[in-house]
Amino acid sequence: MLFLATTLDGLQMGLCFAVLALGVYISCSILDFADLSVDGVFPLGGVCCTIMMLRLGLPALPAVLLCFPLGMLCGAVTGVLHVKFRISNLLSGIIVMTALLSVTLALTQFLTGTGYTTTIFSFRSADLTGLFNGALTSALTDRFGRGAKDYITIVILLVIVFIAKLLLDLFFKTRLGYLLRATGSNEKLVMTLGKNSGSYKIFGLALADGFVAVSGALYAQLYTQYDNTCGSGKVVLALASVIIGTAVFAHFRRMKDTTAVILGAILYSLCLNYLVLIDTNGIYLKLLNAVLFALILIFNEKISAFLSRIRRKKEQMQHG
Amino acid sequence: MVELKNIHKIFHGGTINEFCLFENFSLSVAKGEFVSVVGSNGSGKTTTLNIISGSLPINGGQVLLDGADITKMPEYRRYRRIGRVFQDPAVGTVPNMTILENLSMAENKGKPFNLRLAINRQKNERYCELVRRLGLGLEDKMQVPVGLLSGGQRQALSLLMSTMTPVDLLLLDEHTAALDPRTAEIIMELTDQIVREKKLTTIMVTHNLRYAVEYGTRLLMMDKGAVVLDQSGEEKKNLKTEDILQLFNQISIECGN
Repeated sequence: MLFLATTLDGLQMGLCFAVLALGVYISCSILDFADLSVDGVFPLGGVCCTIMMLRLGLPALPAVLLCFPLGMLCGAVTGVLHVKFRISNLLSGIIVMTALLSVTLALTQFLTGTGYTTTIFSFRSADLTGLFNGALTSALTDRFGRGAKDYITIVILLVIVFIAKLLLDLFFKTRLGYLLRATGSNEKLVMTLGKNSGSYKIFGLALADGFVAVSGALYAQLYTQYDNTCGSGKVVLALASVIIGTAVFAHFRRMKDTTAVILGAILYSLCLNYLVLIDTNGIYLKLLNAVLFALILIFNEKISAFLSRIRRKKEQMQHG
Repeated sequence: MVELKNIHKIFHGGTINEFCLFENFSLSVAKGEFVSVVGSNGSGKTTTLNIISGSLPINGGQVLLDGADITKMPEYRRYRRIGRVFQDPAVGTVPNMTILENLSMAENKGKPFNLRLAINRQKNERYCELVRRLGLGLEDKMQVPVGLLSGGQRQALSLLMSTMTPVDLLLLDEHTAALDPRTAEIIMELTDQIVREKKLTTIMVTHNLRYAVEYGTRLLMMDKGAVVLDQSGEEKKNLKTEDILQLFNQISIECGN
């Protein structure tokens, strides 16, 4: 029973972080830009979504979607710092991240109205008529019992992730998408096409952080609470998802990178959740975390060597 | 077509290594001319191309393209009317995109890169036909990432891509230097064919004296930021590789190379 609950929780987390991983995939893999602003944009998405819902009374879906342009704005700032003012990519990300930490803190204060006596801000789940607690959910819960809520949450998240993936895939087939891919791997070519590669870099970073903010918004709703520290470590988590996804699922040649990244995020989150079962005190969690990450990559290397050996043998048999 | 007027170019200005390459350097290339430029290392051949394309700032003078002053125009905007092939075959293409994807981008040069789909079946067939004419067997590899192709194949593709849209000027920056002799020959033939067919104004920098003599309508030899030999028309046709080699050696000895 505990195992099932852990699995469901891991799936929800994984799907939520899949959106984040898609964003980091754009900045890290497509644009070859290590964007550290993620750690700041993620909580910003969470707090802004919460404010829009609780203070401005917006329904959940528009609140989540509005986080996208918000994230884009932050990404654009990172991009402008890097492209126009020639600050290195790591530093421009750190600058935006640091600034956003204060911004989110200030926004939290605005939300409570009593100042931030505690850094963790939480509220009753009944207040948050969010995506996962909506009318549909309650109707189905009535019918299938309390356990149904977890499955419904997963289905809703799946739909969101699937739409995000489809849109991104489609985008990368357009002319603008092509140019963005070219910007990441050969800026000089973009220039000889008569285009300013800097502008496209800024646009790409904006797009990436849009996804990150949406992921933060989903995260806040998933746990029906906003936590100011929820941003820390998100870059690492997302990068791990992207790397695991693209490495492990590279064996499936026809699989798209976006699918691999999503599966990577789910796989990694599931593993993280199972670790909690092993180490209930949570002291060695990070250590186990690191060991797991290393193990996945090492095993993956072995698997790919094994697969290529089989492939070679097959070819030899055919020729011989 | 292209005119450099009284160009001043100083490298490492204001430091102890200050070095003045061009002083009152002027060059004019007429429409339809195919100029090959030779000269020893450091004579200013590639710098000339970089000044025309805007990759390098100048300390004085004017750059005119088709009569219009483009001295202050940023590099990427100049490339809207200029095509360029670099020495490194990796620079002219995007390695992780397929031949098809690369060609579709090249064809879209000068048009907006918007949210319309980049490739369709009609385009595929046309690109296939274009690539078939290269005679390198690339038409069967349209879906292969360009990074997996050989240097010669990539350079042929770069050449095709840089001339896919109508350009006023084609800059070739030692574009056969990184290739083996046989492939270099093929690429050079191809260059000549494309330049003639599209009647392109071309400036080609090369270290191969034979190419400079055999191809093109005008030959320039540069040394220490100045043109020391400039021949075109009948004079150029009667020129032999040995003649230039002799002059070239003379200059090189003076330089101490």
